[in-house]
Amino acid sequence: MASKTTTKSNEKLTKRDLWIMAIRSFFLQASFNYERMQAAGWLYSILPVLKKANKKKEDLGKAMKRHMEFFNTHPFLITPLIGIVAAMEENKEDPEMIRSIKVATMGPLGGIGDALIWLTLLPITAGIGASLAIEGNIAGPIIFLLIFNGIHAVLRFGGIFYGYNTGVKALKKLKTGTKAVSHAASIVGLTVVGGLIASYISLSTPLVVNAGKAEVALQEDVLDKILPNMLPLGYTFLLYFLLKKGVSPTKLIGLTILLGVVGKYFGIL
Amino acid sequence: MLFEALLIALWAGIAGVDLFNVQLHIHRPVVTGLVVGAILGDIETGLITGATLELVWMGMVPLAGAQPPNVVIGGIIGTAFAILSGNDPKMAVGIAVPFAIAVQGAITLLFTIYSPVMHKADKYAEDGNTKAIERINYLGMTMLFLFYAIIAFLPVFFGAEYASSVVEKMPQFLIDGLSVAGGMMPAIGFAMLLKIMLKKEYVAFLLVGFLVVTYFDLTLVGTAILGLAIALYDFYKGKGNDDGGPKPKKEVMTNGI
Repeated sequence: MASKTTTKSNEKLTKRDLWIMAIRSFFLQASFNYERMQAAGWLYSILPVLKKANKKKEDLGKAMKRHMEFFNTHPFLITPLIGIVAAMEENKEDPEMIRSIKVATMGPLGGIGDALIWLTLLPITAGIGASLAIEGNIAGPIIFLLIFNGIHAVLRFGGIFYGYNTGVKALKKLKTGTKAVSHAASIVGLTVVGGLIASYISLSTPLVVNAGKAEVALQEDVLDKILPNMLPLGYTFLLYFLLKKGVSPTKLIGLTILLGVVGKYFGIL
Repeated sequence: MLFEALLIALWAGIAGVDLFNVQLHIHRPVVTGLVVGAILGDIETGLITGATLELVWMGMVPLAGAQPPNVVIGGIIGTAFAILSGNDPKMAVGIAVPFAIAVQGAITLLFTIYSPVMHKADKYAEDGNTKAIERINYLGMTMLFLFYAIIAFLPVFFGAEYASSVVEKMPQFLIDGLSVAGGMMPAIGFAMLLKIMLKKEYVAFLLVGFLVVTYFDLTLVGTAILGLAIALYDFYKGKGNDDGGPKPKKEVMTNGI
């Protein structure tokens, strides 16, 4: 941040500029494609700082070209990086350094975002919403949207100021803090997944075994006595091991449909 | 039916854009179920089917850019089908998932087609043409909107009358079997979550969550708070260890038996 005081060539970014960039970052994936992924959306998001920092059209073109390179990260955690890059562009830092920070950060941010947002926040909030909606309760979707977007907004708008204010220092902070946080998030996430397995997979068998004169209902008299919900748990783990073996999710969908139909036909399920 | 189909198409377009942009997550089945239910005049079935589909898609999230079966179309078509055919929501799952896989194939194609546009974008960037870069992004979203709107409109408009007749022609064991499969399908989503999240040290928490719901019927909010309690304990305990704080030993505890 020392360089910030030495170079005062251009207008400084205002709070308003940061807000605008955070809002533009909602469209990070507007032009998503397989060649550059989020590159054009990233450029779209940071245009305000590039325009402010490069008054000459020639310079602006050079800066824009640099930011058209391949880019892909988690769409919710993009704003801390926008903040950092904005601080660096504003200070006319070395383009090489800006590029390497972008490249070094997009992977970890993507991984953290997957763990925190897609694998923790979304399953928990959508699971809670679905558990209400499945009983016909209209509050389900509303509660889901409120909690999810409350956290979404804090991350997105808080992130840009955090990134900008701490500049490059934020990167180191991010790395040390996230390990503990994502560990804690995993604990909550997996506890909830355990509960989801128990409540929302319906799988039981109507089979009745004739043992002499006594009729034994396999589900109520045997399986439920050992461990209720053992079939859902067992089936989840079967699929888990198949996934680990490299079987694609699409094949597992086919397998599940086949099992359901065949199982029903023979009266096993 | 035209009016309803147009409304659903409009909603599908908005939800399709939301899947990748803005991402308020109004595209999730738990929300689209309510909206499609309201459009078709059966909010309760909409909510129930949407929630059922939500659980199926729970683990199917875009990890590292890999795209799962399309959640937008799956949720909308699944809910519309359940309401229009008057069938069990679980059976709608059996219909919606294969349909969603096909749609995701088309989306993949769309993302491939948009790749050459990036070379145009390079040119605009070099010229410092900010307006053109903005246009390219707006065009991408417009394409997504139209794609989703059309994909949702066609089956709802043309398939509405046939939906129930198709179901009537199906043998009963197939309908029931699809229902059973629909009930099992959330396991796929959960297994996908486990594949990424589950490490040896986390198995205990998975089991705790499973057991409190199985034996005590704890609600999901309760389960989440229980998980949070464990996580908080673990978080601050870990912090204490890092500091190498003043209370290094816990042996004192054993005296208090």
